[in-house]
Amino acid sequence: MRLNTQEALRWAPGAIGVLVLALAPVLFSEFYVSAVLTKALWLGIAAASLIFLAAYAGMVSLGQVALYGVAGFTMGNLVAADGGSEIALNPWLAALLGLLAATAIGLFLGAISSRSYGIYFLMLTLAFAVLTYYFFAQVTELSGFGGINNVETPGFIGNPIADPFPLFYLTLGISLALYVAIRYLARTPFGLTLQGIRDEPDRMRALGYNVRLHRTLAFATGALIAGIAGVISVWWNTRISPGSVALPQTIDVLVIAVIGGLFRLEGAWVGALLFAVLDNEIRGVDVIGDRFNTVVGVIFLAIVLVSPGGLMGIWTSATDFLDRRLAGARRGREPAVAGRSPANPGSPPASET
Amino acid sequence: MKLRHERRGGGLALLALLAALLLALGAIAAGCGGDDEEGADTRTAAEGGGGGGEGEGEPIKIGHLSNCEGPFAPFYDQTTGGAMLALVQRGAEPAGEKGSDGVENATLAGRPIELVFGCSDSTPDVAVAEARRLVEQENVDILVGPLSGAEGIAVANYSKERPEVTFVNGIAGAQDSTLKVRSPNFFRFHADGAQWTAGLGDYAYNELGWRRVVTMGDDYDFPYTQVAGFVAEFCSIGGQVVERLWPPLGEEDYSSYITQIPEDVDGFFLAVGGTGTVAFVRQYGELRGNLAEDIVGGVFMTDPVIHKELGDRIVGVVTAGMTATDTGRPEWEEYANALAEAYPALEGTGSSVFAYGNYLAMEAIALGLEEVEGDLSDNHSAFREALANLTIDGPLGEVKLDENRQAIMDNFLQRIVGDTNGDGNPDVETIRTIEDVDQTFAGFFSPETPSPDRENPRCEKGTPPPWTQQGGGGE
Amino acid sequence: MSQGADAALPLGRRLRLLTARPVELAVRILAVALAVFVLLWVLAFADDALAREPRTFIVVFLNGLTLAGLYFLVASGFTLIFGLMRVVNMAHGSLYMLAGFFAFELQQDFISFDPTQGFGPPPVSTLDWVLPLLIACVAVAAIGLVMQQVFLRWNQGQDLRQALITIAISVIIADQAIAHFGGIAEEIAAPAVFPDSVDLHVYGLTYPFFRIFVLLVAIAVGITLWAAIQRTRYGMIVRAGVDDRQMVSALGINIQLVFAGAFFIGALLAGLGGVLGGTMISVDKGNDTQYLLFALIVVIIGGMGSLGGAAIGALALGLVDAFGDVYLPAGYTNYSVLLIFGLLVLVLVVRPLGLFGRPA
Repeated sequence: MRLNTQEALRWAPGAIGVLVLALAPVLFSEFYVSAVLTKALWLGIAAASLIFLAAYAGMVSLGQVALYGVAGFTMGNLVAADGGSEIALNPWLAALLGLLAATAIGLFLGAISSRSYGIYFLMLTLAFAVLTYYFFAQVTELSGFGGINNVETPGFIGNPIADPFPLFYLTLGISLALYVAIRYLARTPFGLTLQGIRDEPDRMRALGYNVRLHRTLAFATGALIAGIAGVISVWWNTRISPGSVALPQTIDVLVIAVIGGLFRLEGAWVGALLFAVLDNEIRGVDVIGDRFNTVVGVIFLAIVLVSPGGLMGIWTSATDFLDRRLAGARRGREPAVAGRSPANPGSPPASET
Repeated sequence: MKLRHERRGGGLALLALLAALLLALGAIAAGCGGDDEEGADTRTAAEGGGGGGEGEGEPIKIGHLSNCEGPFAPFYDQTTGGAMLALVQRGAEPAGEKGSDGVENATLAGRPIELVFGCSDSTPDVAVAEARRLVEQENVDILVGPLSGAEGIAVANYSKERPEVTFVNGIAGAQDSTLKVRSPNFFRFHADGAQWTAGLGDYAYNELGWRRVVTMGDDYDFPYTQVAGFVAEFCSIGGQVVERLWPPLGEEDYSSYITQIPEDVDGFFLAVGGTGTVAFVRQYGELRGNLAEDIVGGVFMTDPVIHKELGDRIVGVVTAGMTATDTGRPEWEEYANALAEAYPALEGTGSSVFAYGNYLAMEAIALGLEEVEGDLSDNHSAFREALANLTIDGPLGEVKLDENRQAIMDNFLQRIVGDTNGDGNPDVETIRTIEDVDQTFAGFFSPETPSPDRENPRCEKGTPPPWTQQGGGGE
Repeated sequence: MSQGADAALPLGRRLRLLTARPVELAVRILAVALAVFVLLWVLAFADDALAREPRTFIVVFLNGLTLAGLYFLVASGFTLIFGLMRVVNMAHGSLYMLAGFFAFELQQDFISFDPTQGFGPPPVSTLDWVLPLLIACVAVAAIGLVMQQVFLRWNQGQDLRQALITIAISVIIADQAIAHFGGIAEEIAAPAVFPDSVDLHVYGLTYPFFRIFVLLVAIAVGITLWAAIQRTRYGMIVRAGVDDRQMVSALGINIQLVFAGAFFIGALLAGLGGVLGGTMISVDKGNDTQYLLFALIVVIIGGMGSLGGAAIGALALGLVDAFGDVYLPAGYTNYSVLLIFGLLVLVLVVRPLGLFGRPA
């Protein structure tokens, strides 16, 4: 039974977290649910797409925000909205097409950059990201500086400013589903192969795996997840402009992932919640209110310097410590928990350069 | 074994931290949700002396939204300073060197005023997010702002969702915010970007003898509106716009765009603004020589900050806008001096449209509240009625509203001349005052005409506006 | 792990057999076709334009060339640091921007502004330009050095972590720049002895003198760097360090000193670019992102760590940039960013490590 207690201890906070979120409309103000929690959830999805790539495929991408921009702009152009093209499709269909576009672009970029590893990959995706920003900023037929405004949302969501709850629950549901799906994917043969490639690309190639194809497909999967975040962000904002997918946003998502824990899927939402809460709270504060980005930068720097595993890394260390204490109390009946903290997550596998 | 992520059992358990965080968050959220009414925000102006002030009754909370980041951040202090000035003139004291420090002991119509400041970066997303924070979390009664064109349209649209709050535009000059959106609780007490060009087309055609011109402006809503005004007037009296060049906003190397100005045109209309003007003028000088003979300038050419930077390089340029320093009106002197006195750093920037637009917004709010004696009941209905029928006897003449709650006011055609007052900066000389310019530009624009963009409005000969020579106006 | 691999093998094989070659081939063909098409398109328009409007063509060509000079200055420092230390300095653009601001502020302090002397910018003596240039470059180089010593020295080899650290630093610098260097985009005034423009003696054209000056400086810096790397002892150590760091240390050379020196020079070059760019174009808060992007593209095209690659990459980027803005069909010039994208894709498909890149 003791083991079960321990298990329950591990599970309980997560379950409580989901429960608190599920009851959020009762617990928090309407504004808070919309402007902080919903935002945190979709930012979490965007960060999850990055963590999926980083943790399972060893591909730290800075292109995720650009890809969610591709989904968002595609959808924005295809539905009734101010700015963008004249086409006005059904919002669900447009969302689907947006996801398709993001996946297709992801497939293309993945194919091009799949031969690059480590920081080369990081640089390449960063260059693509900034070029995507300039593309949408300059091509007024699709967006232009002012972007696309008053984007029509599906009837189920309605007007997210007037009634934020449908979108909140949808985002919560999608977040949970994606969490489970990514965990599942990691255990499929495809996911295991990816993890093998992450650690030993040469060995995997020697074993007959098509490394580039797997990395390309992984990138496309990441693009799909990022696209989901993009679609939700446009529903949430009812608008998208190049400013929504610029370098600061790219860095925001990176910061969220790193603060949460670049190699732990849960870290995506943990980091996003922290980020959204900070963003909302600090803005009203004197002196540092206008310097939110400095605060974020300093936290980011501190995390990278002190605990590259992010908050999840700290959490794991703490629970490991607790485990050992518990184990010790049980006269060392269990072997000490080893290898739970990510091994030097700051560096990609040696073979990647 | 480098599979870092193969962990035995209970992987999901790491959701745990999420919950821990949420619980902490719950505490914070409960705190901030409940404290709003007490003014948890440290920057509320009444905090310093609100309790002891002479104000009676419930405080009124006013939010101010401007840009402290992005391409228009340099104009932040002008926007906040201008807005605060209307309060300072009614007995409030500046709480610091900058408008964004707020004011103390502010009252309007006997009710104490609390202030909250929001800050965007010129993108519509952030502008709406900040507007929402001010309205939905800080619970402001009245919102002043934003600054830039695309933001203005987005906030005007948002205002429709919040009928219980009154929105007064800061200095965002895109045409659509009032002409197209027409939100019943969104007011703009200054002219839009097209109105600011009134008289320029006439001057270019009749005085300079230009027939074929090029326009050059940043690629977004506000310059579209500026170019729309110029094109409407210049083409209606027979001029031709042979090309419209749109360098992206934020471009700083304009050489490739300057190269594209055909050499056989008579001149061009320059609506490059924000951070790009200085670079443009210098690069034009290097590539094509003296700028002053070749352009008529948009509203950025009336800005004192730009004058200071560019000095003698822009002497001779003819430009137009809703502010002019040489009208000789005592009300103007009073305004400019009061601004410099309240905010010494803003000395000499009285003619900034950024300060003036925000001043008019807050002045209108003050006059409106005084008229209804601070009554904001019934979703501000009396207050809005008062605003809609208000005539501000402003520093530079009367400002009144049309049925779309958009200002009708005078526009000043002016030439930049050498330093006349000894401050080391160029000054302006008003060539002509065009009275009571309205947003339709004498019928040229309507809610049905296409929004100004890269191609619209088309360059067509038509009914000349009444202030042009062809329309029976002029000297 | 082996268990997982076994389980996945059939899927991997199946995927490979089904799609590997065709997908790869298709992508390559698509990318090459796209790039060739775009190039031909530009050339066709440019060719036509050369005959019709030679004046415009020459000016645009010079615009591209001078931009390339500036890009090379920025990218050379970036590539030098990477080549030796495998550090991707994501704060390189921030250093560029900081140098511009420093030089501008210094110059403002140096030039006394006397309202009675008329108005407009007073004449700038050569010293009023050179001194801010030197101080700003050294200051920025010192910042770079401190950054390397404090944050990067102790985690060598963890290249991703180092990149993240420099990103964090760039976020802080960008926000602090907004706080301390508020204002519109400014220009650093060129010395009064420099003429505004020079006569090109063709078609009666004149061209901005300072842009040509930047190109000349870039060429001089390029030659100096090349000579230093090829002909000096320090250069020899650097070359050896690029190839095999451990071996160099084992030979008793203080590689840490070499690293520090390289970081100093790399940051110095970013600073030089910043001041020259600030005089040629302008100093603004968005410069950090812009020039980081330019440096990234240049080294991705040219190959990380290669000086010659940086030169070729800068040339390609500068010319594509300048021509794209002008010679795309009317109404489509705002698509010019696609040309840069196409250039990147083309290079990556043909040579994933860049034109002059070699595997580390």
